[in-house]
Amino acid sequence: MTTRRVKGIGELPRDIPPARDLWPAIAEAIQADLAMKAVPDTRRRVGWWPAMGLAASVALVTVGVFIGKNFQSVETQPLVNTATPVRDAAVVKASLRQAEYQKQRDQLWTEVQAKLNTMSPAEREKVGASLTALKKSIKDIEDALGRDPANALLQELLVNSSQEEMRVLTTVRDSGRQEL
Amino acid sequence: MRVSGIRSLWALCALGALPLACAANEGSVDRKVPADARGEVLISNVSGTVDVRGWDRNEIQVTGQVDEDVERVDVENSGGRTVIKVILPKGSHDGGDAMLEINVPRGSSVEVSAVSADISSKGVIGTQRLKTVSGEITAEVSGDDSEVRSVSGDITVHGNGKPGSLRVSSVSGSLDLTNGAGKLDVVTVSGDARVHMGDSSEITARTTSGEFELHARLQKDARVSIEGVSGDLTLDVGNSAGLALEIESFSGDISGCLAEGKVEQVSKYGPGTRLNTRTGDGSARVRAKTLSGDIEICDR
Repeated sequence: MTTRRVKGIGELPRDIPPARDLWPAIAEAIQADLAMKAVPDTRRRVGWWPAMGLAASVALVTVGVFIGKNFQSVETQPLVNTATPVRDAAVVKASLRQAEYQKQRDQLWTEVQAKLNTMSPAEREKVGASLTALKKSIKDIEDALGRDPANALLQELLVNSSQEEMRVLTTVRDSGRQEL
Repeated sequence: MRVSGIRSLWALCALGALPLACAANEGSVDRKVPADARGEVLISNVSGTVDVRGWDRNEIQVTGQVDEDVERVDVENSGGRTVIKVILPKGSHDGGDAMLEINVPRGSSVEVSAVSADISSKGVIGTQRLKTVSGEITAEVSGDDSEVRSVSGDITVHGNGKPGSLRVSSVSGSLDLTNGAGKLDVVTVSGDARVHMGDSSEITARTTSGEFELHARLQKDARVSIEGVSGDLTLDVGNSAGLALEIESFSGDISGCLAEGKVEQVSKYGPGTRLNTRTGDGSARVRAKTLSGDIEICDR
């Protein structure tokens, strides 16, 4: 990479394109959401729609953070204090979403833990192992994204796995109650 | 119409005719109500079994045994809708067993909900929605729109080979599907899934750590999308017109007769392999992606 001294802000490019096209993963998440809404049995699914939407948006923000970190380290490090109020607002909004998502996720895990305690030991072990596998899979994807932030496959897997986690947690929490 | 279906055996006990039954303190159920040929049947039971059978009569028959912890079995019937519900005493959490066999008109739309009860269905050609938490589900499904769901129970589904739409989901239970056709949507977390589909137009599946095995004959313009995280995917998909393959794994291997010599590295320096190729006119599209699972793809 070549470097040159920048004397004025006007010399900077007006935008920096991401390393690869992020739209397919975003479009797929939107399509999946729309397809889910098209399912006729709306009454039973309404419980995890908002959580899944939140999970998808936060996963996308996470992807953005990974990519942002990558860019920051090579190009935008010196450009402190260049954030516009609009960008600040977006960052604050994203942080709030992240906090809300984390809160919902933690709450769900607590409720699911309580639900697991009502199950027979064999069932608890079986379902608990699945939930652990799900949690670990998201951690594995995030770790891989940390090493390869622009990888479209990892981005897609993170979005889908985050949605899946919320869906499964809601299913386990509501099991029994939902069935009857 | 509302009836309570337990016929007490205490009278027989008093006569000493059925001492064993009295010792078990059980009751039997035997109810019959008229029903529409294409009516709706809703069944709920906490524990025990629910065996649904389709028959050629326009009536519903509920038979079976219930143990002492069951208060009664309600059978309500109105406006083409029949509700069969096992009622437990208030505050009961353990769930008394009810072993029910329910005959319904073949064309009925059936919904069964259970907690630990096993569910089986046979001979029903209407829509089926079968849900249990830890019980096992064994079902024959027809061409209609159907849904089978469990948390930890294993699922076995047998289709009739006619195109339909089926959704199956499980958290830790396994899935064994045979003779399916049309559209299929499968979601599992750690349960393994083995799927055999006839003529298929759309198959989507997602697994986290379970292994997924698909054998399918794809229609022209079919769409297949399989996603795994750490579970291995085995795809055996055939289409006489041709396939367009988009297969990718971040750290797993891609192999199989359609992959030989065509797998490439995603990046020169990083991990990841992919297979983008087509056979024939490539009209049936197959996508499969994993994080660390291996993918084997063939068209035999």
